Amino acid sequence: MAIETGIIAIGAGVAIGSAALATAWAQKTIGAAAVGAAAENEKMFGKGLIYMVLPETIVLFGLVIAFLLWTKM
Amino acid sequence: MFRPREMKRTLIIGAKQDVEKTIELLHSLEIVHIIDYQPSEAEEPLHLGTPTEKASGVSQNLLKLRSSAQLLMLEPETPSVSEKISEKQIQRDIYLKIQDLELSVLSLTETKKRIEEHYRKIDERIRQLQPFAAMNIPLENYQGYDHVAVFTGYLRDLKKINEHLPKITDEYELFTSDEKDQMIALFIAKSYADDAGKLLSNCGFIEVKLPEGKGLPKQFIEKWTTQQKELSEKLVQTTKDILEFRKRYAEFILASEEYLAIEVQKAEAPVLFGMTDHSFLIDCWIPTDVLQRVKEVLEKEMQGSLYLEEIEVKHEDEPPTLLKNPRPVRRFEYLLELYSLPNYRDIDPSFILSLIFPLFFGLMVGDIGYGILLIFFGVLFMKMFKESEGFSNIGWYIIIAGVFASLFGLFLFGDMFGLPFLPPTGETGGVAYSWSSLLGFHIPIPSVIHKMESLGMTQLLVISVIAGFLHLGLGLLIGVTVERKLNRKHAITKIGLLFVLIALALLIFVMADWTIGQWLRPLKGSAVAPFLWNYFIPFVKAGFSFGGLLIPYVSIIFGVLGIIVVIIATGGFGLIEVLEVTSHLMSYTRLAAICVAKGAMAFAFNMIGLGLILSGNIIIGILGVILLIFMQLMVFSLGALSSGIQAVRLHYVEFFMKFYKGEGIRFNPFRYVRKYTTTK
Repeated sequence: MAIETGIIAIGAGVAIGSAALATAWAQKTIGAAAVGAAAENEKMFGKGLIYMVLPETIVLFGLVIAFLLWTKM
Repeated sequence: MFRPREMKRTLIIGAKQDVEKTIELLHSLEIVHIIDYQPSEAEEPLHLGTPTEKASGVSQNLLKLRSSAQLLMLEPETPSVSEKISEKQIQRDIYLKIQDLELSVLSLTETKKRIEEHYRKIDERIRQLQPFAAMNIPLENYQGYDHVAVFTGYLRDLKKINEHLPKITDEYELFTSDEKDQMIALFIAKSYADDAGKLLSNCGFIEVKLPEGKGLPKQFIEKWTTQQKELSEKLVQTTKDILEFRKRYAEFILASEEYLAIEVQKAEAPVLFGMTDHSFLIDCWIPTDVLQRVKEVLEKEMQGSLYLEEIEVKHEDEPPTLLKNPRPVRRFEYLLELYSLPNYRDIDPSFILSLIFPLFFGLMVGDIGYGILLIFFGVLFMKMFKESEGFSNIGWYIIIAGVFASLFGLFLFGDMFGLPFLPPTGETGGVAYSWSSLLGFHIPIPSVIHKMESLGMTQLLVISVIAGFLHLGLGLLIGVTVERKLNRKHAITKIGLLFVLIALALLIFVMADWTIGQWLRPLKGSAVAPFLWNYFIPFVKAGFSFGGLLIPYVSIIFGVLGIIVVIIATGGFGLIEVLEVTSHLMSYTRLAAICVAKGAMAFAFNMIGLGLILSGNIIIGILGVILLIFMQLMVFSLGALSSGIQAVRLHYVEFFMKFYKGEGIRFNPFRYVRKYTTTK
């Protein structure tokens, strides 16, 4: 296997890994606040869930980049 | 189906003496949503209504009844009522009956309380006397001396006392119990009492106060224990009586409580009305389709003494929402309301939700094995939580999603529990298991898309983007139709965004032209083929190359046009919405991501598990089976959970943001949901 392939693979890994970390970090804070809000007022559940899952798109960007890199391997 | 039921705002005006009869009628109609009247300066003679005369009497009786029910610990859900009782039957001497009931319940519970109190007192006394029982000294002998001090209590170090006490004096007598906790009674000449006290405290002495009374403690305890036994028998009997009583009166209590609650509701209704000295005004919402019937009933029953007027619905009015959907769709209203109840002017997306939510859910699970498990667990869920509306609805969603997952597993992915029916064609590398190779016969269910191959993953990504394009496009179109009448600016912005969406989708489709070309191949030779290959495809694919990427002209035209429309309609801030549409379209790639991630996890676990099972060693094989079952359940539960949440999210965030406003007011008709009584 050529060294370029390896570097591409590492790049793909970094892309999705760092995106996942960023998502987790964002969700940590939002999740805690959303649960707090839902505990005070059940009607906030729907809104809380939305805010909670918003950062998930970040990891998908990572996934798409990783996939584009993978097809170049 | 796509709109909440249409409402008409109606004023009902009548003379004050008719108010009770009108309330009766409206209550029996069960379809009128009364608006709480807000008095204003401009309508001077109108003020808030007051409850009718009978309100306080009825409330008092209701209170009595409820306190009796509470004393009897009667919970409304527990008894099953054989048949509903008619109101007429309840009305007969209801107040006398309630009074009797209150007296009986009070006397019964009072007796029970007295017995319990007595029992507790005796218990306390026995507890106090217990330490002295072992010593066999009559209680009167512990006290009444002029020259002798008495210490009674527990002692930790008896040896030390026996050693040191004789050093102080020999004028003492020490009684000890033989039991483990070492109770002592020390009689000592008063002049040595101080020294003895010090010594005792050094030896870990804890004083126990002498209870009052005369005689041997043992005899007392025996007597009281017999008394206690009698009391507990009595208590059992009284509790039984109460239970018996509760059983006998349960139906009456529940039915009359309901009857009185309804009476109170009716009696207090006028506080929602506007009143003058001689007339009343009811401001209410009535569904348009029943308005005529309501009018006719009121007209007929009141002999035309009421005046009804429809008022035009103004823009700032907020009519209540009453959804109307066919039965299977109605279950999805719960999922919608978890987000927010649609407001009156929203499109009701329950129907779309009921189709696309299970479709996405099923696509992400995409496996016939897990699909059947989903159906099984869904049925179980519905059976287990029959009482809870929310949980039984969730069970229903799981069942439908299971059906879709099985269909996708059977016709698209051709796999069961992460294992394909036929061996994969290429690249997975290493050992590749399949149901056909494991069972030893050919199962003719091909995998149209292999989740674990790069081609399959590309195909899934393209499918995700197509799904996203259609879903978002539908959302934007609905948005345009909703906003068309309410806010023209928003409607135009949404048209611009739709253009941007088309531009993005075309760009991605051209990038994936090879994959899409494969799917279009069966169309070659059909009637649309000349149009497709001679005009449409060359037209879409015409473009220039930018950094190795083909940018089609159509895409640029749509994109630029869309951005211009958005900027004209909303200004520079509109660009944020353009970015939002881009990220929302990308967001649908989660469909592929979860599908593949779950497939990969199942694939890896199958490799491990099957490797162990087929190793040839029986013990390792058995371990392999256990491990495989455990791992498969893990994949299933993780997959089902994340697929469900992501399918919900794609609706709540990406789809609903395009058109849905929510925060509707629930249609709350003036009525009481009867459980124990009927009007017949």
